[in-house]
Amino acid sequence: MMSPEQARELARAAVVMMPADEAEALVAAEHSALTRFANNRITQNVAEHNALVSVRAVLGRRVGVASTNRLDDASLRAACEAAVRAARIAPEDPSFPGLPGPHRVETPDRTFAATRAFDAEARARVAGAIIEQSSERGLTAAGKVRAAEHTLAVANSLGVDVGMALTGAQATVLSMGSGSGSGWASFLDADAAKLAPEALGGVAADLAERSAEPGALDPGSYTVVLGPEAVADVLDFLAYVAFSAKAVVEERSFMSGRAGDRVMSELVSIADDALATHAMGTTFDYEGQPRHRVPLVERGVVGLPVTDSYWAAKLGRKNTGHALPAPNSYGPMPLNIELAAGDATLDELIGSVTRGVYVTRFHYVNVEDPVSVLLTGMTRDGTFLIENGCLAAPLKNLRFTQSAVEALAGCKGITRDRSFVGTEESAVFAPALLLSSFAFTGQTA
Amino acid sequence: MNELIAAALESAKAAGATYADARIVDSSLEEINVAGGVVEGVEHSDSFGIGVRAIANGAWGFASTREVTPDAVVRIAREAVAIARASALVAAAPVVLSPLEPSRGVWSSRLDIDPFAVSLENKLALLAAADDVLRAQPEVTITKAHMGFKRQRIWFGSTEGALTEQSITESGAGIVAYAVADGEVVSRSYPNSHGGGWQQAGWEYIASLDLVGNAPRVAEQAAALLTAPYLEPGTRDLIIDGSQVGLQVHESVGHPTELDRVLGDEAAFAGTSFVRLEDVGTLRYGSEHMTVTSDATVPGSLGGFAWDDEGVPAQRDYLVRDGILVGLQSSRESAPAIGRTSNGCMRADGWNRIPLVRMTTVSLEPGTWDFDALVADTDGGVYIETNNSWSIDDRRLNFQFACEIGWEIKNGELGRMVKSPNYTGITPQFWASCDAVCSRDFWQVWGLANCGKGEPMQVAHVAHGASPARFRDVQVGVGRS
Repeated sequence: MMSPEQARELARAAVVMMPADEAEALVAAEHSALTRFANNRITQNVAEHNALVSVRAVLGRRVGVASTNRLDDASLRAACEAAVRAARIAPEDPSFPGLPGPHRVETPDRTFAATRAFDAEARARVAGAIIEQSSERGLTAAGKVRAAEHTLAVANSLGVDVGMALTGAQATVLSMGSGSGSGWASFLDADAAKLAPEALGGVAADLAERSAEPGALDPGSYTVVLGPEAVADVLDFLAYVAFSAKAVVEERSFMSGRAGDRVMSELVSIADDALATHAMGTTFDYEGQPRHRVPLVERGVVGLPVTDSYWAAKLGRKNTGHALPAPNSYGPMPLNIELAAGDATLDELIGSVTRGVYVTRFHYVNVEDPVSVLLTGMTRDGTFLIENGCLAAPLKNLRFTQSAVEALAGCKGITRDRSFVGTEESAVFAPALLLSSFAFTGQTA
Repeated sequence: MNELIAAALESAKAAGATYADARIVDSSLEEINVAGGVVEGVEHSDSFGIGVRAIANGAWGFASTREVTPDAVVRIAREAVAIARASALVAAAPVVLSPLEPSRGVWSSRLDIDPFAVSLENKLALLAAADDVLRAQPEVTITKAHMGFKRQRIWFGSTEGALTEQSITESGAGIVAYAVADGEVVSRSYPNSHGGGWQQAGWEYIASLDLVGNAPRVAEQAAALLTAPYLEPGTRDLIIDGSQVGLQVHESVGHPTELDRVLGDEAAFAGTSFVRLEDVGTLRYGSEHMTVTSDATVPGSLGGFAWDDEGVPAQRDYLVRDGILVGLQSSRESAPAIGRTSNGCMRADGWNRIPLVRMTTVSLEPGTWDFDALVADTDGGVYIETNNSWSIDDRRLNFQFACEIGWEIKNGELGRMVKSPNYTGITPQFWASCDAVCSRDFWQVWGLANCGKGEPMQVAHVAHGASPARFRDVQVGVGRS
């Protein structure tokens, strides 16, 4: 596996090769392995060793990009020439500010030996322990156990020269019973040593048993308690459609023209924070710029969106360090989203509901309207009717069609505990939420 | 390449593999994006590597590397076998592959004009011209025009003696106009949303799209959508255009008839299927107007090849015939579960991914209706075009789609425009409500280059032949009251 120092050296070498006014090179190396299981056995087991060099050539205000995973000098030179060819032909972009210069970046060690040592046999043993929690109760388990090491480095001709490594370990488990019941649990951390497979498998199996023989619920708006996995889905879509400076400028975001306005409950604070001690991602973006903490929604009040060098210059704002790899038609993107913790326990949230719905997680969510963040999707793997403060009965999966912004305006409670959902490179840190109204529009028969 | 494949296979056998296959993939991609009069990106990317899949102790292992050298392929083959042995620690019955005569040969997809030989100047000029036309419409404030080209060379060999080489070239392009006002965003795309139109073809396909000629209509419709009403909630007869019928087939027929999903192998991520093994031959999937094929031999289709990624020859097979489920998409490992051999649906997203059961070209076969006659035969309905949003549950039963645009049908004529019409339903009931499918004159193959499945995620390029079709009494206007 390439070290950060080796990746930086490779990036610097590519920059030197580039016959352009300005040059940038991004090196992304990865060693990842994933063990998949289903029907209580391992079904797929894969490993990948890869490294990619992406180069950006700048000629005046013209830009071209090329990438390759062939790392010999001739291939790197060919990639540089391809980027320059593209830049020569591209029309000038009058808004292009040039590549960003160097800034101090803290690069904490976010790698763990236990994750690096999480080999195929170790993953198989973990998969077996997870599966056993279901199989011994007559349930069927499916899921994955994954380990990855990443190295990212960025260099440019203005002196940017940064590199960092990180690790990630992940496990998921879906437990299914014969009576349409299913349960879910997941784990994500930089350190594989924190993974407790028996406990994880047990949570999913418990949910599967509790959710057997689910019943119907009439469509309508209900008070809901969303588990962290479901909350993470909502936050992911907010990040995708709303939190970028580009979306705000193009008036595709609920934040457009609303900075300083209260649009969500004052309990809701959402930030992007790669610098938090618990964060897992890199502390610099794909232009090598330091990622800053950005309060996107503070006590329900709309803040400012994330930027990269292009959109910061265009708007005359600070670069918050949220560039994606060039070329980037999405605009800047937050990759370390977290919703601030509250002071409740999950039992307290559920206990406060007279009649409502508990959702473990969603499935296949999509956006119908970007401005209101109108989402539709299904619940799965543990949906329950809440009555008088208790999970009274399992429910068949429900379809929802609901504005995320409006839902968060009705936030009445947040848990202290939060969970990481996603991947180590773009993890969402989410609590469970109590929302006063959530529109369920259909149900699977 | 064949020597490297042979070395990998020998290494796997020496390490104890009872079966192994190796794929070397060399791919090049060119992407050009123009937005709002500015070139957002011109990118060329290359990816090269080898993946080795092995069975040892009755279980699967796979390892892959970007280093395609004699030493590296031997090393990666040994790693694949070691991983397989680890898999066997938590295995059930040993993996058994359905029999296959080893394939040998060379195949290339059809193209007239190599898109990688067309100058960047010409490509940018075409996109800029289309983008200029879109921007001429005052209400249109965001525009996008893009092109993409992909070329893959795939060398495949197996310990059973298969040795094939395939070269596939794909071309795609599209334009999108967004009109934004008063906190509302509407969009109009051509020739399709979510990446435009794609074919296994060369530059001739891009030229045939006439992006510039279609741009005025796209921009005008985007502008008109701003003031159009939403579709009133209720139950309506729907005529759905071919592109959306294609996506409906994709989500509610293609995915649920993947045999790995039926068997539960995708349960934790993409989900399972409402279809059961015992349903093959008996389940009424839809009305008698519904016949769906899985066909990797459709010329120019994104789902085309000569051999799938485990060396099974391309085939045309029926999934649904006259409304009855008659087949499933399968692999060599899964096909015996329904007493068949593989119908060639194993496809991998590059050298670093294992093949999974994936769609090829899954099509709703054409009916007999003329489109104008179908509209004339419909009263109180809605005609909708071009997908905007999609969602379906983990068993592929409960779906909800939104389209970009629609027109109410009154007294057999298209009338008032409606924006962002959505509809929802349950798969078998929805297909049972299909009472008319337009003829081959209105049938075309829609390339879809963003089908996600598997962990690690794989994005497949698939296709769907479809013509406009009518569905009775569909719930529409969900969440718009």
